[in-house]
Amino acid sequence: MNLTQFNRILRQAFLLPVIALLLTAFALYYQIRNANETVQVIQQVDARIAQASLVARLIVDQESGLRGFEATDDERFLVPFRDSENRLPSEFDKLASIAALDAVQRRNIEDIRNDFQNWHDAFALPIISTIRAGGQANDVNLNLYGKTLMDHVRQDVDAITQHDEARRSVRISQWRRQVRNMLEALIAIALGIGVLIGLFMRSRLHAVSAAYRTSLEILGKRAEEIFQSEQQLRTTLASIGDGVISCDAEGRVQMMNPVASELTGWSQSDAAGRLLEEVFHVVNEQTGERVETPVGEVKRLNAVVGLANHTALIRKDSSRIIIADSGAPIRDQTGAIVGIVLVFRDITIERRTQEALLANEKLAVAGRLAATIAHEIHNPLDAVSNLLYLMRNGVTEEESKQFIDMAERELARVTQISRAMLGLYRESRAPVPVDLKAILEEILLLMEHRFMELGVTIHTDLPSAVIVDAFPAELRQVFTNLITNAAEAATPRGEVRVSASTLAAGISSGGNKMPPGALVIIADNGAGISEEVRPHLFQPFFTTKGENGTGLGLWVSRGIVGKHGGTIDVASDTGDSSHGTVVSVFLAEKPVVNPTPH
Amino acid sequence: MTQNSHLILCVDDELVGLRVRKILLERAGYRVLTAMDGPSGLAVFESEPIEAVVLDYSMPGMHGGEVAGRMRAMKPRVPILLLSAYIGLPAEVTCLVDLYMTKGEGAPMLLQKLESLLQPVSAP
Repeated sequence: MNLTQFNRILRQAFLLPVIALLLTAFALYYQIRNANETVQVIQQVDARIAQASLVARLIVDQESGLRGFEATDDERFLVPFRDSENRLPSEFDKLASIAALDAVQRRNIEDIRNDFQNWHDAFALPIISTIRAGGQANDVNLNLYGKTLMDHVRQDVDAITQHDEARRSVRISQWRRQVRNMLEALIAIALGIGVLIGLFMRSRLHAVSAAYRTSLEILGKRAEEIFQSEQQLRTTLASIGDGVISCDAEGRVQMMNPVASELTGWSQSDAAGRLLEEVFHVVNEQTGERVETPVGEVKRLNAVVGLANHTALIRKDSSRIIIADSGAPIRDQTGAIVGIVLVFRDITIERRTQEALLANEKLAVAGRLAATIAHEIHNPLDAVSNLLYLMRNGVTEEESKQFIDMAERELARVTQISRAMLGLYRESRAPVPVDLKAILEEILLLMEHRFMELGVTIHTDLPSAVIVDAFPAELRQVFTNLITNAAEAATPRGEVRVSASTLAAGISSGGNKMPPGALVIIADNGAGISEEVRPHLFQPFFTTKGENGTGLGLWVSRGIVGKHGGTIDVASDTGDSSHGTVVSVFLAEKPVVNPTPH
Repeated sequence: MTQNSHLILCVDDELVGLRVRKILLERAGYRVLTAMDGPSGLAVFESEPIEAVVLDYSMPGMHGGEVAGRMRAMKPRVPILLLSAYIGLPAEVTCLVDLYMTKGEGAPMLLQKLESLLQPVSAP
């Protein structure tokens, strides 16, 4: 049953009683009108009877007055006679004018008028004249004649009264019958309509109740489905490996999954309703300063907030874990923020692994460099030790001078190399001004022999000092890596070009705004990097050198350059005539140094 | 000392080191020929009646291991002493040569080792 059908039933249920009431009202109206008519008739009849009585009394008064005058011959007895005589014509008119006259009654009134006139003219007036003339009026026959005339008048009055009374009783009984009939009819109608409404309602309500039952069943099924789907979501949420906390728009915790409970140390029931800042106490990993929770950021920016780096979570028991987190707004249909969901995970181990990898790569670079350096130092030392051996076994003065010169030259080489080494692993906490030209030259010097071994020619374009703020040891690591890669790619008999220059502020090829800085370009004319390999260059543990590489060099280099607020780009060509690879490193002159790489 | 006039070939890319080593060996009574890289060393080795070779390992272009391999292919009986600034050379290189030593071990050690290599030849 749909809403239209339901409304139709409602309309029917409303209309039926209204129709029944209208019928009843109409019947009652008819009845009342009838009663009014009856009352009016009765009133008219009563009025005529009263008028007839009045007429009869006036006539009696005349008769009495006449008798008195007859008996006494005193004119005073004629006063009522004269009064009545004056009034009677108008009273007769009044009697005749009362409404609802039927033919019989009209005749009766006409009769009484004539009969009275008869008595008056034929009896009363002659008697009065006779008496006034001094005659006698006590003749029996004459008086019998007068009595007969008066009797006619009396009969007429009675006829009028009786006729009206008869009419009245007929009317009353008719009205009573009508009332009874109406009552019976009303009861019948009431019963009939009552039964009809009852039956009709029953059938309609059956339909409605059937529809209601169906709706209830559907609702029950829906509720069950919703419950199932909610259960499933709940299970999913509980099974997610990351911590999930959801808050309302005010930042009060609504729900958290078991991983979130474990990471924060707060149980779901303890945390519910508390402000997120209390439960999710995050600080900067290095400074220990409180940082804004993603919720605040989400509310402020009204957008998804990505992973924040170097954030530490202070657990309920005050222990610390390093986490990565993100927050997203929960929106209603209108797009307004009704809550915030926060996802985070423990990256303490990940971070340690990363740190271990970085340290490892640093060691590997150091190890490789140490071997090169040992070789560089061993050669002159061998020469010097051989010279000393020769001199101890006796030499001429000229020879001695020559040997000492040679030894000095060799020792100068050793000193130069050791000086280059000194700067290699000097750590500093803050960036210091660094001359890229000097760094590159030192690296090239240390690697000179390695280049010869590889049969690679080095061309440099380092016209003047290029100063940027940086961590020198880390930059050495980067450039050592890049130059080694270039030299190994160019072998045998290839060329490596190294250049460094300052760069004014401007717009990069990618359209980004670039601050002033320095550009170091290391190019080789090796075979180039194939397109399959290129996307993987900066992935950790990706190496093209087999057992001779850690696969960490470029990954670490990019991390270091990124930390310096710079970029590192690789362009490569594998074409027959134009093959080669160009690595460009951009370093900002005054970088905003990010505390940790990656 | 005159009985030791064996003809020795020294190959090294380090000019000063090579010169000093030549003087040292000549003082010890050997006749010495020198070469600055692998290919020229091989040329001398082929054309001259070399009795022993003192070979540097790390050289541009062709490293000592490769030079030793080619010398063995030409004249397998000529002893080769491999010098290296590195510690721990790969096994496939050390098995090619008769002896190997690290630079910086000192002149007496070099002379002693060279002598021990030439012993079988000088005392038939």
